[in-house]
Amino acid sequence: MGLIKKVPVYTENIPGGALVATSLEQVLNFGRAKSLWYLLFGTACCAIELMCTGASRYDFDRLGMIYRATPRQADLILTAGTITKKMAPRLRKLYDQMAEPRYVIAMGGCTINGGPFYYDSYSVEKGIDHIIPVDIYIPGCPPRPESLMEGCIHLQEVIRKQKLSDWQEK
Amino acid sequence: MGKLRTEEFQVNMGPQHPSTHGVCRLLLTMDGEKVVDVVPHVGYLHRSIEKICENRTYAMCIPVLDRFEYVTAMSCNYVFALAAEKLAEMEVPERAEYLRVIMLELNRIASHLIFYGTTAMDVGALTPFLYGLRERELIVDLFEMTCGQRLTYNYIRVGGVSRDIPKEFVPKCREAVKIIGEKLSDYEGILNENPIWIARMKGIGLTDPQKAIAWGVSGPVLRAAGVKHDLRKDDPYSIYNKFDFDVAIRWNGDCYDRYLVRLDEIRQSLKIITQALDGLPEGDVRAKVKAKFKPPAGEVYVRIENSRGEMGVHLVSDGSTKPLRVKTRGGSFNQLQYLPEIVRGKGYLIADLVAIFATFDIILPEVDR
Amino acid sequence: MTRDELKAYIESNFVGRMTLLESGKVEPMYEIKADDLIEVATKLRDDLELKFDFLCNMGGVDTRERLEVIYNIASTSKLHRLDFKVILGYDSPAVESICPVWPGANWYEREMYELYGIDILNHNDLRPLLLPEDWDQGHPMRKDWDAPDFVRMPEL
Repeated sequence: MGLIKKVPVYTENIPGGALVATSLEQVLNFGRAKSLWYLLFGTACCAIELMCTGASRYDFDRLGMIYRATPRQADLILTAGTITKKMAPRLRKLYDQMAEPRYVIAMGGCTINGGPFYYDSYSVEKGIDHIIPVDIYIPGCPPRPESLMEGCIHLQEVIRKQKLSDWQEK
Repeated sequence: MGKLRTEEFQVNMGPQHPSTHGVCRLLLTMDGEKVVDVVPHVGYLHRSIEKICENRTYAMCIPVLDRFEYVTAMSCNYVFALAAEKLAEMEVPERAEYLRVIMLELNRIASHLIFYGTTAMDVGALTPFLYGLRERELIVDLFEMTCGQRLTYNYIRVGGVSRDIPKEFVPKCREAVKIIGEKLSDYEGILNENPIWIARMKGIGLTDPQKAIAWGVSGPVLRAAGVKHDLRKDDPYSIYNKFDFDVAIRWNGDCYDRYLVRLDEIRQSLKIITQALDGLPEGDVRAKVKAKFKPPAGEVYVRIENSRGEMGVHLVSDGSTKPLRVKTRGGSFNQLQYLPEIVRGKGYLIADLVAIFATFDIILPEVDR
Repeated sequence: MTRDELKAYIESNFVGRMTLLESGKVEPMYEIKADDLIEVATKLRDDLELKFDFLCNMGGVDTRERLEVIYNIASTSKLHRLDFKVILGYDSPAVESICPVWPGANWYEREMYELYGIDILNHNDLRPLLLPEDWDQGHPMRKDWDAPDFVRMPEL
């Protein structure tokens, strides 16, 4: 009964099973946090580390993270790699196509502030947070798979603390 | 009944598409299911690396160039270091040369393993992806042990390498070579005779050797079309002429042969690594380089055989601490240019185009820079 | 051919059309006049002793005094290599397209056109290659180029 331990619930044994009562918020947040489907959006070096994280050794699936090729099925956009000025409108478009609730992880130095391409570059967007709202920043060039996974776990914690009323206001 | 009237229409593929290996946009003109024409649009990853290098000292250029072709970052390090050394007429210690060859070949294998995995995934098989990246981790561990990074190494420097290998490197490397050598038969076993794989690969994307040369295509794509052109043999750099290895070559020039050439190359690279580990001499790993390294004014173009073909740097120096111009050349740039030539009017399906794109092993940072 | 043989061959067969420059440190570097480019390039490709069938690389250079277009060519059968360049001034630089000789030059020329503003004559397609479609800030690889959000790295 892992679920019962993690979510504050009221349980009462009844003949033939148990009666469980909890808030809708808890159940929704639990479901969202544990099935973050991410958009395959790899632009540069970080994409290789993202691939490694998804492959044999690190096994991203165990966090409930499964890749989707289309933004319409994705909950999370992992911007793995440099976003250039030419790519920025496309990133915005992809983000707009995702259904709410949606989350953004900025992976790597380039997406945080331009990283190694901050100085002397005429074509790199200096950070993606003025294109789309970012939930979690993961520094590194590129970040290791471990730090990517830590970032995702942090995001899950953020999701757990969400209030249902926040969504209604939107 | 007369012939059905058909109308051509356009399909946009990318820039965000999993099988374009990054951010390439292909504008396809379709006639029903058949691809009539393809126009690649690039530049979505243009990070102005060449401009950045013009305002960096020679030592600072190397980490920037790591990102020029991150799948084989060692080659980018090496080609720039080689150009700077040629300008300054610098001698590199022998041990450093051996270490460089070991790293370059390990990186070539790592790159081909990614090719193996992603190509199979593009064509619809997921298992090879897990296989390929599993063995790649062994190589990445070796790099991490040596220079602390998994992907962008900054290991090969002007005048040698940044540091000596740790003690446990040689046994670990031998073990990795042995494991990869054994696993290669697994790789071949799962795909070579697979009827779906053969149906998707054989006879698709035929390249013509003469045309390919004219378009500047190089590396495994050219060798799969029967041209025995490998810069490690034809224009030997570093200490490649000390090693005994064969140039992997096939003759049909289709997707299947390009795949086989790359698997053969892994085998040859393992052979080179074993020889280099056996002959690894003792000594310094870096020549004495001044903190303010200033090569004399002049220009030089050097080229090496990368896993995607010829990688080159044209380096122009004006005698100051910063290069005047760093013009990089990557194999993918020419391969992507050539792609419309072999697709146009052949009546391939989109699925075939994906297979061709994958076996050309085009990655976009090399195109856009 | 070895490097010296190549130099001697070119000296005797391209009299006055290819001038040896001192800047080439490893391979010989020649200068070709802009209006003679196509003819010399065709001869370099078709000469049975030279057979330069492979264009490795080409690109623009801004030396702060002039613009240059560098070409690195090689032969896949004879295994020798050669560099040459065309020197241009800053006002209305233009060079003939060498796509008829080496079709692989196409994208290199497009790149040069947008990044350096070197006009390519008789090129079939000069759409922007690397820069965004709505780019209006000039030619960024020129040394004197500047833009409001362009940050130079401070001297260390």
